[in-house]
Amino acid sequence: MALWPFGVHDREHPSLGVILVVDDEESIRKISRLTLTKAGYEVIEAENGEKAIEVLNTGENPLTVDVILCDIRMPKINGVEAIQYFRTQYPSVPIIVQTGFPDLNLATSLMKQGIVDYLVKPVEKEKLLAAVSKAAEQRTTCNT
Amino acid sequence: MKPTAAEQSLFVVILGAGKGGSALIELLTRCSGIRILGVADSNPDAPGLQLARYHYIPTTSDIAWLVARDEASLIIDVTGDPAIPSLIARHKSPKTEVLGGIAARLIWSLIQAEHEMYEHLAHAEKLSTLGIFTAGIAHEFNNPLHGIMGFSQHLQGETDPAIISEYSREIVTLTRRLSEMTKGLNLYARTGQMPEITDVQIPQLLDEAIKMAAFSTMLDEVTVVRNYAPVPDMQVNPSELHQIFVNLIINAVQAMNARGHLTLSTGVEGGYLTVTIQDTGPGIAPQDLARVFAPFFTTKERGSGTGLGLYIVRTIVNKYGGTIEPVSQSGNGTTFRIQFPLSSAA
Ligand SMILES: Nc1ncnc2c1ncn2[C@@H]1O[C@H](COP(=O)(O)OP(=O)(O)OP(=O)(O)O)[C@@H](O)[C@H]1O
Ligand SMILES: [Mg+2]
Repeated sequence: MALWPFGVHDREHPSLGVILVVDDEESIRKISRLTLTKAGYEVIEAENGEKAIEVLNTGENPLTVDVILCDIRMPKINGVEAIQYFRTQYPSVPIIVQTGFPDLNLATSLMKQGIVDYLVKPVEKEKLLAAVSKAAEQRTTCNT
Repeated sequence: MKPTAAEQSLFVVILGAGKGGSALIELLTRCSGIRILGVADSNPDAPGLQLARYHYIPTTSDIAWLVARDEASLIIDVTGDPAIPSLIARHKSPKTEVLGGIAARLIWSLIQAEHEMYEHLAHAEKLSTLGIFTAGIAHEFNNPLHGIMGFSQHLQGETDPAIISEYSREIVTLTRRLSEMTKGLNLYARTGQMPEITDVQIPQLLDEAIKMAAFSTMLDEVTVVRNYAPVPDMQVNPSELHQIFVNLIINAVQAMNARGHLTLSTGVEGGYLTVTIQDTGPGIAPQDLARVFAPFFTTKERGSGTGLGLYIVRTIVNKYGGTIEPVSQSGNGTTFRIQFPLSSAA
């Protein structure tokens, strides 16, 4: 699979996929954006669960978002609540959790709800890319 | 008829305001039925003299004058000075009894043992609270660590000077955040062994305590209201006051299930420096109001509370001559109101 340079995702050179990044911290979103766009993905961002739900319910997004990368501890609607919503409303969109909580119980319960991975920060960029690419593949398989 | 407590009151004079004298003052001020008439030490900088002033106990360097006080029922001599017993004998009123020499040393050892026990309890309480902090601490550390890791990885191979300086700035900011957190943790975890009395700004310490409490619970859904009227600095051990505020804030947030209003106020009222911590939780049941300060009283699930929090809080407040009382109506939130005599302000 070819890696497209930063930000290239027009019709001729489609991006590898669209990733919804949900995190309340600007610097964390920036890291994810850098890592993912450099690898050829397109990134949309939301700063809490409420915004994420709003974004996902906008226009074509339910169809174009390939993977959700979601933090847990956030204001308004937190990650756990948002994930419950995504799993019921958009069960075909794979979810990766990326959080600062090294919490085995939480990880297990979320895995049972169907998230594809539970990454504990700090996450190295290779690890994130591997998880995202695996999840994106799952999305493609689901759609066909 | 039995005599009332006031009629039975013991009027005590303490000679010596070093370690032994301080421990005596701390213990005796907690006993009802005992009044300390005064504390004397020839060294005006003896630590017990400051402590006595917190409690509005007269202090003097004139030992003979204090010993001669007619109302004194008991003189306790913890000076260790061989000249004192004869001085006492010359000046005291005939009905005043004297506790000195080996008997005073025995008392001093008992108090020492009691004091050590308390220090252990206070430390154990801190550690158990740190236990509930650990998940929050990991979270608060892992976020900036993630940023540092990410920006560093993206710096590798980067040649654009603008980007290099942008990412480096991000790393510096995140590192500062980490170091602020370790400072806050250190203030909390420091043991009570080395009392460091300094001028403390109460509003600033309350803000530190909020940051610390945020490790233990989600504060995002809690609206923090600060009503800080200007108050004089207090001369206290900041670590101890920090522990008071952290405990009260955590209790408040736990009571509200992390959703509601937390109001912190400071002010001066009639010779007292007042701090109140108010929540919009369910309040405290009337039958529990009297018990909340008792050691090991808790209504929380096993494993989530030791019930030592408020006991330690009250002990520290009393140590500085202050009082604390809960004001609560079931269903209407809880306010803990602390008052420190302004004499302990700098
Ligand atoms: N703000 C409050 N609102 C309602 N109840 C409270 C509040 N603060 C304390 N209490 C009651 O007082 C009890 C004792 O509080 P304390 O802080 O001593 O112990 P704890 O919070 O149960 O345990 P620990 O502090 O050791 O974790 C609590 O269990 C609770 O029932
Ligand atoms: Mg408590």
